[in-house]
Amino acid sequence: MSSISVPARIALRPSAVMMRNLSILAFLGAAVATAGIIIAPERGWPNLLLATYYLIGLGLAGALFVALQYVSNAGWSVAFRRVPEAMTTVLPLSGVLLVLLFFGIHTLYEWSHEAVMANDPILQSKSGWLNEPFFIARTLFYLGVWLLFSTVMVKLSQRQDETGDIDLTRRNSRLSAGFLVTFALTFTLASMDWIMSLEPHWFSTIFGIYNFSGLFLNGLATMTLIVIVLKRMGPFQHVINDSHLHDLGKLIFAFSTFWMYIWFSQYILIWYANIPEEVTYFTRREAGGWGVLTIVNILFNWVIPFVALLPIWTKRHEGVLLRVCVILMIGHWIDLFWMIMPPSMQKEPVVGLWEIAPMAAAIGLFFLLTFKSLAKRNLLPVRDPMLEESLNLHT
Amino acid sequence: MSRRLLVSTFDHENDLLAATNAAREHGYTIHDAYTPFAVHGLDKAMGMRSTRLAWATLILGISGAIAKLWFQIWTSATSWPVNVGGKPLKSVPAFVPVTFEVMVLFAGVGTVLLFLAMRKLWPGKKPAVIYEGVTNDRFVLVLVQDNASFNVDEVRLLFGRFHLVQLEERIERS
Repeated sequence: MSSISVPARIALRPSAVMMRNLSILAFLGAAVATAGIIIAPERGWPNLLLATYYLIGLGLAGALFVALQYVSNAGWSVAFRRVPEAMTTVLPLSGVLLVLLFFGIHTLYEWSHEAVMANDPILQSKSGWLNEPFFIARTLFYLGVWLLFSTVMVKLSQRQDETGDIDLTRRNSRLSAGFLVTFALTFTLASMDWIMSLEPHWFSTIFGIYNFSGLFLNGLATMTLIVIVLKRMGPFQHVINDSHLHDLGKLIFAFSTFWMYIWFSQYILIWYANIPEEVTYFTRREAGGWGVLTIVNILFNWVIPFVALLPIWTKRHEGVLLRVCVILMIGHWIDLFWMIMPPSMQKEPVVGLWEIAPMAAAIGLFFLLTFKSLAKRNLLPVRDPMLEESLNLHT
Repeated sequence: MSRRLLVSTFDHENDLLAATNAAREHGYTIHDAYTPFAVHGLDKAMGMRSTRLAWATLILGISGAIAKLWFQIWTSATSWPVNVGGKPLKSVPAFVPVTFEVMVLFAGVGTVLLFLAMRKLWPGKKPAVIYEGVTNDRFVLVLVQDNASFNVDEVRLLFGRFHLVQLEERIERS
């Protein structure tokens, strides 16, 4: 058995054409999205919320993956840890977008109108939590906590490249454990604040986990997509082998099923109890075009990935895995669309320029920032104690 | 009918893996390999084809799901119709959790039982340990001397490259 030794440096040189195209996509998308907010605010704001939430999800999923690897002392993933670390670089930008969203509070959230609150006893009882100053303060708090944890974790990991100090790994393990607990609490509340309160009469106690499952599934799919792209572009050609892809495929397979499990758990309790204030959420989403979207959502996020990744060979097959990742990234957009849009699109789901532009901007910006961050430094955490184990992964 | 076996012992998993690869490449017939723990990649080195057990799991799972779904519809809609909260008798969402659990039960337990049966491992079976060390820290590869040109010295020379610890001929009577 010949074992792979650690190369001194692997660098990514993204092609100028690709970076230019991503910039154009991001710029055009942002320009059209801004126009959308001015011309059709009732469609522009919810779509900006969707795109921002999608971006934050990708950044958080990166931090979450890194933290999970540290607390479980996992060796297999070290070779590509720079990828999820780079994904966290979208967090500051999505923070700026969130602050921008404060200007759309009155278009987005029914509870932000005092006249509506005054005439609604149910909403009045929630006004202690759902009011503008507290909402803004909470949002800033979540952002601050996430930025703090992700920045420090990434910094410590990068510092190891220079010092090779094993203690940095231990420090990151402790930090990761703290982050996981903090994330669980803050993200549950954040998903309720930003998304669930779009329909303030409705509530679901599983909403936080449901949003987490979608976030992590999409994060895994996007991370795997970047890993495969880097393998095809060259830098990861001899770093990532079939066993890495197999493990990533298994994680995607598992979290796709987890998403379906949670989706159905939310559905069946509401369906069984059949209480009007809860069930309106689903009756609205079962009618007409929204009903079709419900089925498409399940197809994209579970049925197709489940069937495609059931055998061993597909999980080890670059091409199949890449296609599943793209389907899941579209699927997550559908999932968020399905959650966010019904209050503002009362009749049928509409997808036009105002819907596509913010997402195009988000995707363009995400890949631009991630590739820029990856190109800045060595693609391998060369002095991580478990890198050699990861390079020789064999399952 | 008896077979002549050649039992070779190694100290390290990587030596066993390399020796197994070399044995297969040189055309020797591999009887089996024995290790104290699961060694990744050994199945490929031995040239084993992938197991058909996965197909059995799939079929078991699907049959478990169908059987349980049918049973629930039969009990609550056909044999003894039960009105639950005014819902239709054949309310599939209500049947999904139990269908799912029984699918997992059939697939999981069925696969384990089938595996034990295929490997002929049942309670009370006397363990046949080919070499005591494999229960502790040794790795063993067993070749079959299945033709006249089989030369033990050649094997000794080949495996010597992989830190061969011991080579022993055995005659297996069945």
